Amino acid sequence: MNIIEINHLTKTYGHARGIVDVSFQVKEGEIFGFIGPNGAGKSTTIRTLLALIHPTSGSAKIFGKDCIDFAPDIAKEIGYLPSEVFYYDNMKVSDLLKYAASFYKKDCRTRMKELVEIMELDTTKKIDDLSLGNKKKVGIVQGLLHEPKLIILDEPTSGLDPLMQQRFFDLLIEENKKGATILFSSHILGEVQRLCDRVAIIKEGKIVTVEKISNLRENNYKKIKIEADNASDNAFVSIAGVNNLNVDGNLISFIFKGDINTVMTKIADMEITNIWIEEPDLEEIFMHYYESED
Amino acid sequence: MNIFMHEIKAYRKSTFVWTLSLIAIVVLFMSMFPAISRDIIEFQKLLEGFPEPVRKALGLEVENFGTILGFYSYMFVYITLCGAIQAMHIGTSIVSKEVRDKTADFLLTKPVSRTKILTAKLLAALTTIVMTNIVFFIGTTIMIAQVQTQSYSTKNFILISLTLFFLQVIFLTLGIIVSIIFPTIKSVLTVSLGTVFSFFIIGLLVSTTGDGGKRYLSPFKYFDQAYIIENASYETSFVLVGMGIVIISLGTSYIIYMKKDI
Repeated sequence: MNIIEINHLTKTYGHARGIVDVSFQVKEGEIFGFIGPNGAGKSTTIRTLLALIHPTSGSAKIFGKDCIDFAPDIAKEIGYLPSEVFYYDNMKVSDLLKYAASFYKKDCRTRMKELVEIMELDTTKKIDDLSLGNKKKVGIVQGLLHEPKLIILDEPTSGLDPLMQQRFFDLLIEENKKGATILFSSHILGEVQRLCDRVAIIKEGKIVTVEKISNLRENNYKKIKIEADNASDNAFVSIAGVNNLNVDGNLISFIFKGDINTVMTKIADMEITNIWIEEPDLEEIFMHYYESED
Repeated sequence: MNIFMHEIKAYRKSTFVWTLSLIAIVVLFMSMFPAISRDIIEFQKLLEGFPEPVRKALGLEVENFGTILGFYSYMFVYITLCGAIQAMHIGTSIVSKEVRDKTADFLLTKPVSRTKILTAKLLAALTTIVMTNIVFFIGTTIMIAQVQTQSYSTKNFILISLTLFFLQVIFLTLGIIVSIIFPTIKSVLTVSLGTVFSFFIIGLLVSTTGDGGKRYLSPFKYFDQAYIIENASYETSFVLVGMGIVIISLGTSYIIYMKKDI
């Protein structure tokens, strides 16, 4: 079942581009990554899903209901963490969390307490006195305290130290195991790579591709580096799929895409001292999407 | 209900301060009344020395000045000015602060419709104004009881005092629609002060010419105290225009707020 269904969503701000003809689906129980550089349209898409802004054309459904027409109804089961968190400055953390909880018709106190402990949040402080990272923690707690079925995160990790980031990710994985679907927008590939099952790549307001993370990598790019006494590139020049071939002293390195066996047989014929075969990280693969259309 | 309570808490302090200021004005003016009413003949001569347009602009009714209600009406001009600023300020800030402080993302992603949000905020603002008026009314009644020398029409006193509430409602809804049409107002106080003073000055100018039709230009002139004292009622046409402003402002505010991008 699709939790989110976006159909040809377009949003323009006057003459400025927002997003153009964006379509993708997020299935129940998925952790779905939404990747693109700053200004590509990630937040515009998310804000439309949350009915904060209205689409110019196209539509989106969440839980099978139109996201604009049924916004208050849908919001009962959504937890949202914006990229920049702003709360009522002169409120105490505990009051803000109570205010947030008061919008949901269920008792959130137990879960709130658990979350506050996990995130090590001091609830007696005023929002105004909190650091950016601590405000973010307030955002996380207030976004998750009602145990939402859909968690929407817009660049959630900025401002969190690595330890808290790890706890936050563990928390998300735990929520996901309990059945929550997660839409995770980011421009940091590493975190998407760690968490997500599938990913939509957005560039200049348009979706470039929607892929499984595993597929992206299994596109069979390998980074191969060989150390040999009498290194020469002769053996590899002729092989189709070899790119970025480089010989430096007794080191040969290249990126290979294709049937790995053809390279392996060549290497088997050589007298080598060392070999490294690595997965290129997503960053290198994504660059391919960003460069290709220019 | 939670939004309503949240807003009431947020405006508790400022409402308290505004109410206190209104009462301070009443106390200040009313404490002068015994002295003035004692020497009213001298005072009336002095007032007559002012050119007529100035007297009209300042709302000085020479004949009534020595009576408690006449004096109250004169003072009431400053009460309404103060009250209008309070109402306009709360109206402009109560919706726009969410955008300015960027808390709109928090509030508008909660399971509550925009209609309910606006209604809760409107009711909260109305409540603070009602509270202000109740306290003001009680305070003024006590103060007048202290200084009065002869009996006065309670009905007329109530009618005059109630116009503070009506005027505040008009400026409250004006504030709300301004803040919804121009959501990125940087300084709420500047906008509210500017609007209120503009209308106030228009009101002063209109009084000097004494032209009936021009009175529609300034809400400050919708409730003429001299007329109220004389007829023990309001002028229907101005009441209707006042209601019209409130209804149109509110209706438009709701329609725009529903469709707005945050």
